[in-house]
Amino acid sequence: MMSAYTGEWIEVAYLGRFLIALGFASAFVGLVAFIRKWDSIKRVAFRIHAASIFASIALVFLLFIQHRYEFQYIWKHLNNEMPMRFIFSAFWGGQEGGFLLWMFWHNVLGLILLRTESKWSDVVMAVLCSIELFLTSMLLGIYFGDFQLGLDPFLLLREAPNNIGLPWTLRGDYLTAFPMFQNGQGLNPLLQNYWMTIHPPTLFLGFAATSIPFAFAISGLTNRDDRSWMKPALRWSIFGIGILGTGILMGGAWAYEALSFGGFWAWDPVENSSLVPWLTLVAGAHLLLINRNRQKPIAYFSTVYFLLLSFLLVLYSTFLTKSGILGDTSVHSFVDSGILPQLLAYLLTFMAMAHLMLLRSSKWKRASFVLFLLIGIILLKGWVIEGLTLFMLALVILAVRSYLRDFIRTKEEDSIWSREFWMFVGSLLFLISAAHITWQTSLPVFNHFLEPLSPLLARWGDHYDIELFRDLSQHNLAPGTNLDQTYHLIQVPLAVLIMGLMALTQWLKYKSTPGRVVIKNLSVSLIISALSTALVIGSFDWEAWEIPRIALLFTSAFAVFSNADYVARAVKSNWKSWGSPIAHVGFGMVIFGAVISTSQKWIISQNQIGDISTLNEELNNREDLLIMEGDTLAMGPYFVSYRDRYQEGIHVKFRMDYFEKESIQYQAGDVVYFDGMVFEAHEGHQASDQFADDLEAHWMFIPFPNERQAKATKNWKAGTPGDKLFTLEPRIQLNEQMGNAPEPDTKHWLNKDLYTHIKWGRITPPETDEEGWMGGRTHTMQVGDSMLIGHTLMTIDSLRAVSDAEKPSRGLLAKDLAVAACVQLKNKALTAVHEPLYIVRDSTIIPDLYEAEAFGVKMRIESFDPNSEQLEMTVWEHESVRRDFVVMQAAIFPLINILWLGCILMAIGSFLAVWTRWKTDQKSKSNG
Amino acid sequence: MKRAHIISIGFIAVLIGTFIATFYSTSRSTTFAEADLRPEQECKISGTLNADFEIIYDPEVDPTKTVFHMTDRAGQTKRVVLSQPKPTGLENSESIDLYGSSQGTDFHANKMLMKCPSKYNQNNHIIVEDEGSIDGKAS
Repeated sequence: MMSAYTGEWIEVAYLGRFLIALGFASAFVGLVAFIRKWDSIKRVAFRIHAASIFASIALVFLLFIQHRYEFQYIWKHLNNEMPMRFIFSAFWGGQEGGFLLWMFWHNVLGLILLRTESKWSDVVMAVLCSIELFLTSMLLGIYFGDFQLGLDPFLLLREAPNNIGLPWTLRGDYLTAFPMFQNGQGLNPLLQNYWMTIHPPTLFLGFAATSIPFAFAISGLTNRDDRSWMKPALRWSIFGIGILGTGILMGGAWAYEALSFGGFWAWDPVENSSLVPWLTLVAGAHLLLINRNRQKPIAYFSTVYFLLLSFLLVLYSTFLTKSGILGDTSVHSFVDSGILPQLLAYLLTFMAMAHLMLLRSSKWKRASFVLFLLIGIILLKGWVIEGLTLFMLALVILAVRSYLRDFIRTKEEDSIWSREFWMFVGSLLFLISAAHITWQTSLPVFNHFLEPLSPLLARWGDHYDIELFRDLSQHNLAPGTNLDQTYHLIQVPLAVLIMGLMALTQWLKYKSTPGRVVIKNLSVSLIISALSTALVIGSFDWEAWEIPRIALLFTSAFAVFSNADYVARAVKSNWKSWGSPIAHVGFGMVIFGAVISTSQKWIISQNQIGDISTLNEELNNREDLLIMEGDTLAMGPYFVSYRDRYQEGIHVKFRMDYFEKESIQYQAGDVVYFDGMVFEAHEGHQASDQFADDLEAHWMFIPFPNERQAKATKNWKAGTPGDKLFTLEPRIQLNEQMGNAPEPDTKHWLNKDLYTHIKWGRITPPETDEEGWMGGRTHTMQVGDSMLIGHTLMTIDSLRAVSDAEKPSRGLLAKDLAVAACVQLKNKALTAVHEPLYIVRDSTIIPDLYEAEAFGVKMRIESFDPNSEQLEMTVWEHESVRRDFVVMQAAIFPLINILWLGCILMAIGSFLAVWTRWKTDQKSKSNG
Repeated sequence: MKRAHIISIGFIAVLIGTFIATFYSTSRSTTFAEADLRPEQECKISGTLNADFEIIYDPEVDPTKTVFHMTDRAGQTKRVVLSQPKPTGLENSESIDLYGSSQGTDFHANKMLMKCPSKYNQNNHIIVEDEGSIDGKAS
């Protein structure tokens, strides 16, 4: 018998579910009504759908604001400590919120489309309704036995499948009885960032924007003699390019500012899968540009197909990231939440639908429809791989058949000096780029397809002795970690060509342009970009294998200057035509900035002392540096000091002071230590950053230093710390439930950024015994060795046998053999010699624990080898003298602002282009 | 033959070439046993942290060396030397992906990805032990 629950907002749960169900039903009614052209209800149905989605979004926000932890979604993504400014991040922190956000934009765009009536509207709205129908189903949260249809955002915690039946769910007062319902799990600390407030909505608006060109392309397929759908499709495509591009780069900005991987782009599967639809959308939009005004279309099939592909790739990307199929290959990916079959059904339905629409003959359409149904049955029967293989095969056949039979083709050739021709080539380049990235991202999926072929591949491999087949039969492909080989090898040359085309094509006219005019027009920007590339080559170090990168820098500079030149000379005061060239300038700058800031990223926290690496035979990345509290280390062009750490709210902040580096002047005759060797200067000079740079010209190796040299020798330094410049405060966000998250701090200049990140830092005091001693460490040492213990420099001056006379005063028996180590301890205030003993009594070792109280150091000689005069000594440090330290990484990103400025220009250019096209299309409509 | 066709065919050739080329740059997800057969070749190994062994990270000796033991999917445990500072949350990690190669008795990893139970977790549930005592547990 179920008791009544007190304190629950159960009515809100009912209302929310009703709204979702209403949204689902009205999307279905809308779909049918727009197809059947039921004029009286089609618009109303869509408006009801939009209203119910908006209302459920508002309801979820209300639950967040009121901290209603009885709702699972709230409990998982919110806690009492979270500042309310992150409420948006919390809202889309889970899949349910992500779907709601996506639907929000579809509805906003749908309502805008409803206002503009055209002959394409009905089909477009029908497609939008069908997309929304599937999306709403993701939120239904209905169970058919074990099969789950959708994730209910209004699910109560006590109704969650893994809680059902637990004793507490039967208690009516569970909300007040258990303290854990007074607070939630909280939001992942990585998402508590302002970029997470604006990046997801922008990205999802971009995703939603790809649905509109898709819908227009479908509507265009219903009437192939009329290509007027291309104008609105073009506007929406450019809008999508601008928004999606901005959204992707905002994600990069988030990764750069808040994540710890030290860059803005890591070719992560989730990043990739949002980039790929953008690439195909760019390709599709440019083909639309070619075709919208032509009497006879060229590449009509490709135009339509690229637009279809963009949206299908958005679905594919959703499938990859939300289904859990990527597993562990991505840091962003979600775990499987039980909606994989549903996401797959969504993807396959739209793929099948798009390909059916490509066909013209209704006989083929019907036959293919039946074929797809059969494949669906095969899939449902559990033969997933077989079914999917058949499905892909069917898609290829349909695409080829429709390409060959169902599209208008033009016989005439385009001039090689025409804009159309090179835009077409550029689109194909974009497609290759997209295909390559998709391929790399899809390797975990591809493995599933290889699995059933595995025995066959193994047999072939052995029979024909082909290593590749044997290798593939293992079906264990994983994306490589070397980004230069995995991505850049292919993407950089493609980008070189694309950037080159961007520079060239802007100066070509449609139809044809005299070659000499084009060359003359391009010559100015060609010279400027060659000069600027030369400047960049000169200012940074490059290696021979980086030639493709330099080529990319050149062509992207060429794209920037050529398009800027086009603004300045060709369109000048006609600012309405500025959109496209400005967007292209922006894109060129994005690529230029990305290449230079990534390839010339300078990690200044590198270990520069050679012998550190010989200490560890095991490999060392040498990019992270340990710095003690109060120490000052040379790093690149700075000196860095770790001042202290302090806690502010949920953040532990580490204050890192940066000082100017003042150069040091060495005179002839100066003697220095470097890397355990002694050198003497044979002429006066100013020290460079690296000793190796000065060695040959200014220093002489002294194998056997004389007394003067031995006395005068000092450690070699590149410089001395000068004035304090600034302080950076990288931090660690404390989060008990989710684990602590480090966040970098970055100093921005016009021409570079300095990134500082704590790789490891202590946030709690170290473990000690009752008396405050920290775990001891054993070192092998010999006379002359020194070592730093906290603030104390410890040196073994000499060893001596303890004489019989002093034995009694040391508490030793006459028969004892004892060796004293004369250990010099030195800190800022005092210097003293201490003598721990190594005692052997009747061939047994008597341990002698020696404490140097004033220094907070305790030591014990564990063993002594008289032959090699080596001893093993354990040293303890007292917490009172302990020095804090952090392991940090610091890197300089040169010229990264070119990238961000490019991003802004790209967005501005795109919107200008959308706006002017909107205006001119309006005018031509009213005129004609 | 139209010029566009020739170009298209050329691009398809490039496309196929790219795919084949990528087979050689991808790594392989394997087990420790297989990685031992191909020493010094990069591969990816998934598994879980073996909590029976201590995680050794001594930044004062080497800030970029973390040593721990991982059990791969086939059940074999091996000592792992990661050339990174100890990642936050390693102790609580649910699964680990290592990228690196087998070197003698150790596996040397230069890159590591972790799944932590709480990150994007959709499977949190609540267990109740006896009457009244209640505990939030992530599965």
